[in-house]
Amino acid sequence: MSNFIPSRELPKQQPQSQTGAQGSDPESNRGFFSDDERGKVLFGMTSFLTSESLVFAAFFVAYSALRFSSTNFLPAGVSLPNFDTSTIIDTVVLLSSSFVIFLAERALARRKLNLFRLLWLTTSAMGAFFLSGEVQDWLKETLKLSTGEIGGPFFIITGFHAMHVTVGILLQTIMLIRSFIPHNYDKGHYGVTCVSLFWHFVDGIWLIVFTLFYLWR
Amino acid sequence: MTADNTIQSTDTKRGEDSQSGYRENWWQYFTFNKDHKVIAIQYLVTSFTFFLIGGLFAMIIRGELVTPPSDLVDRQLYNGLFTMHGTVMIFLWIIPSLVGLSNFLIPLMIGAKDIAFPFLNALAFWMFPPAGILLMASFFLPSGTAQAGWWSYPPLSTQNPSDPVLNGQLFWCLSIVLLGVSSIMGAVNFVTTIVRLRAPGMTFFRMPIFVWSVLSAQLLQLFFLPSLTGGVLLLLCDLSLGTNFFEPFRGGDPVLYQHMFWFYSHPTVYVWALPVFGIIAEILPAFSRNPLFGYKSVAVATIGIAVISATVWAHHMFTSGTPMWMRILFMFTSVLIAVPTGVKEFSWTATVWRGKLHLDTPFLFALGSAAMFLFAGVTGVMLGAMPFDLHVHNTHFVVGHFHYVVYNTITVGIFGAIYFWFPKMSGRMYNEGWGKLHFLLTFIGANLTFFPMMPLGLQGMVRRIASYDPQYQWWNVIASFGGFLLGVSILPFIANIIYSWAFGYKVSDNPWHATGLEWTTTSPPPKENFKEVPTVTLAPYSYGRPQYSTVDSTDEGAVRRHHR
Amino acid sequence: MLRILEFLVLGVCFAAILAFSFWLGGESYSWMPAQASTDAQRVDNLFSFLVTMSSVIFFGVAGLQIYSLIFYRAREGDYTEGHPSRGNRKIEIFWMGIPVLLVLWIAGYSFSVYVGMDVIGPTTVLGDLPVPLVAEPAEADTVNTGSQSDERVADTVNIGSQDDERVEVISKQWSWTFLYPSKNVTSTELHLPVNRPVRLILKSEDVLHGFYVPEFRTKQDIIPNRPIELRIVPILVGKYQLHDSELSGTYFALMGANVYVESAEDYAKWLEQAAAKTPVIAATNQAALEHAQPPKRLIRSNWYTVLPAEPPIVNHSG
Ligand SMILES: [Cu+2]
Repeated sequence: MSNFIPSRELPKQQPQSQTGAQGSDPESNRGFFSDDERGKVLFGMTSFLTSESLVFAAFFVAYSALRFSSTNFLPAGVSLPNFDTSTIIDTVVLLSSSFVIFLAERALARRKLNLFRLLWLTTSAMGAFFLSGEVQDWLKETLKLSTGEIGGPFFIITGFHAMHVTVGILLQTIMLIRSFIPHNYDKGHYGVTCVSLFWHFVDGIWLIVFTLFYLWR
Repeated sequence: MTADNTIQSTDTKRGEDSQSGYRENWWQYFTFNKDHKVIAIQYLVTSFTFFLIGGLFAMIIRGELVTPPSDLVDRQLYNGLFTMHGTVMIFLWIIPSLVGLSNFLIPLMIGAKDIAFPFLNALAFWMFPPAGILLMASFFLPSGTAQAGWWSYPPLSTQNPSDPVLNGQLFWCLSIVLLGVSSIMGAVNFVTTIVRLRAPGMTFFRMPIFVWSVLSAQLLQLFFLPSLTGGVLLLLCDLSLGTNFFEPFRGGDPVLYQHMFWFYSHPTVYVWALPVFGIIAEILPAFSRNPLFGYKSVAVATIGIAVISATVWAHHMFTSGTPMWMRILFMFTSVLIAVPTGVKEFSWTATVWRGKLHLDTPFLFALGSAAMFLFAGVTGVMLGAMPFDLHVHNTHFVVGHFHYVVYNTITVGIFGAIYFWFPKMSGRMYNEGWGKLHFLLTFIGANLTFFPMMPLGLQGMVRRIASYDPQYQWWNVIASFGGFLLGVSILPFIANIIYSWAFGYKVSDNPWHATGLEWTTTSPPPKENFKEVPTVTLAPYSYGRPQYSTVDSTDEGAVRRHHR
Repeated sequence: MLRILEFLVLGVCFAAILAFSFWLGGESYSWMPAQASTDAQRVDNLFSFLVTMSSVIFFGVAGLQIYSLIFYRAREGDYTEGHPSRGNRKIEIFWMGIPVLLVLWIAGYSFSVYVGMDVIGPTTVLGDLPVPLVAEPAEADTVNTGSQSDERVADTVNIGSQDDERVEVISKQWSWTFLYPSKNVTSTELHLPVNRPVRLILKSEDVLHGFYVPEFRTKQDIIPNRPIELRIVPILVGKYQLHDSELSGTYFALMGANVYVESAEDYAKWLEQAAAKTPVIAATNQAALEHAQPPKRLIRSNWYTVLPAEPPIVNHSG
């Protein structure tokens, strides 16, 4: 039977099996990363954080849409969330902890293990300070979950963020404990890198939360 | 076929040594096993169980609709049943069963030892049964299951007639969030695996279309699932914490939820459909002995569908108080998605054209899926034509259209995949006669069930109603008959798979003489899939030329037995 | 020779499919309900066009698949290869380009139909029409508490031409009430004058509902606390059924109402008579009736349900 559809040449390749000795084809090593454990883990972490940041994005969009369109955004007699020096201090502490964790990671890369532990612990402490400040802010707040369209978003978004801070501190604690295992970093320290990446993410999100609730007046 | 043209996949014969400790240990399927092949079977079996449950709900719904008045179940239960039917079929059948297939196939197809993060993979699986059980548990609450449809539009879904905590809608929300977390873990795993773990020589444009499809689908999960998770979390807050996000009388906006919901729930249709398109693209070439026609354009179309599908969500909201500019904009984007989808359909048609077709069960299911998708596609474009949609939106026309997608295309395609890769998964062959019977019953049943919904919708029969005007009865009786036939059609499948898994005759590594890395290893594959890391030197689908022939002469006897 | 024969057969088949598709497009009018509004005619023309186009694509491609299935079967046990063709740039561009043109044609035609339609949709994305809240509604999560003052809402939607007949449509779980502001008449039936544009102001007092009369070929969701206008021109005298088209809870299926399109005289007479009646509680609310006396069913869940709202008080109940 003749071909209705004209044929095209196949790519010029050895008519061999699909499996065979490595390196028979100049292209054969492209796309081969199987041994790059660190690259794999960081890639996975980055894709997870992309997805996670979009959950926040969904909340931010919902909040902004309601703020623009709702007729009951801020009911009479209610004001936007408290904005005082304690909020600024919390923010400064959290954001600078990103710098501290960066230094910790660098110390680890230079195999200064004790310096790493000190800086790592400092990061967790700064995170804990932020959390306690945040809880105090919530307690002082006159808003309630059911207050117009500001109460819900405020507590849900800051609460969701605080949950991430808590998870970050937990992960840091695990990493700290694991740093005492002998030869733990012989194969690299991408676990630490991932936690650090997560921490930067949490800080970045706070910047947006801060803008949406405190700077947008 | 001469011997030197025959490819011996690997120099190992079907080694019994590699099988021991893998297949015989049935209890490993009940453990926290990190082998992707075990997890795959866990996903497939669990999701199929939920498919049967969801099917039972559908059967009761069809039973209610045999007669115009509401006389089989009370209205609360009816609403609960269609809500659960939709939720179960989507979140507990289609998505996890495709995750199961992807789990089994992706590492094999790209020549990897396992998925990127095996622990995460097992964890993701073990979140799925609890989420399903949680959903089913709501049947035993005094207020019953969620009853607001699988969309759970507020304020209906947040209207709470009994307990603020123990209510079906809360169970529904928690279940969806749990499944969402599990799906994100899965998505991270699949995307990382495909991007980072390909074997030497497996360049992007040598990946089989199934791998392209799973990559696109899982990227969609990664980027769009957060919108649903976020929306459902806010719904949960409205329901149980007293916030006002979607409460219209307190300044909230119910339409906002619809945007958040459909922003994910349109793309998710492609999370289901793309892998099935991939399955069709694997099966058709193998049984027509032709290469997939226009491989590159199909691969690019896969990505194209994923991209365009992100821009069409508001076509579910043409009547939702959507302004004119939005109606028109989303009409144009929606019909455009037909173009890359058409590329796929045309490619399949060209692939079977002038082939040497072998009408085995997997082929019948794949071609049946492709043909019925054609119908789903043209009715989909009709629905995209917004003025017409204003008439048929929320009628049985839409129900018919998307069941042509989710059953006649996706579920039928999944059956095809199970038959096609069954020898690889189990090392044994299914029974061909029972498979053909399954296909015949499915094809007739599916069309009898879902075609009548089109005229019903045109006549104006609204969806989700328990009782209807007598003028609609005739078509409803046919649809119900078809529905029961579909129920029967599952029986030969179950019998076939269980019997064959235990007693089917053993097959060679490549009983279909198919190309693709998964066919070069043993059936079932050994613990780390390949004896040695394979190197890929060929474009996929190298059918059609004798020098690439994959006919495996070690097993001629078995092939003949199979066709007797 | 065989090949010429094959082309010939395919050509004849394609011509047959074309002819059949045009016939099917003509037939498609009969699959629809009666055309009772100006928009119904436009939508049906669009549908006929869609059916013709879809039929060509569907039977064309499915035909090729069936043809392959019949004529290209391998002999038993023959696992030799088919043809080696991996693609053809020209054909691939062709089947990408033609669909682009076809869908743009469909969208363009739909666009022109939509622009010509009498129905007008809302104009803004989220919660348009700044309707200030009068009072904080009741705290509890109970239902049917949200009934806002209707007159106030009506005033805010004062757009549109004055000679259109205006009717307010009030939906709640699970009943329809129609308010004719010109005569201050309320009714549980919708009466409309024929050949005259009518503006419906759609309101909901609890959850989402949908206004849908199949014979009018249009549908609009009703959103609580956000009145939406719908403009229809009925053109065929008759009795039709209004359905709720957005799931609204337990008795959703029972939420219907009769729609009468009448001559101008009959309409005026009905309005006159209804205005003369004193308002009473509507007796025929199907949801309330069924809730009070549930029919026999094989399987009963007895799950809690939201109760039907108080039946409306109307001049005319049908
Ligand atoms: Cu869609």
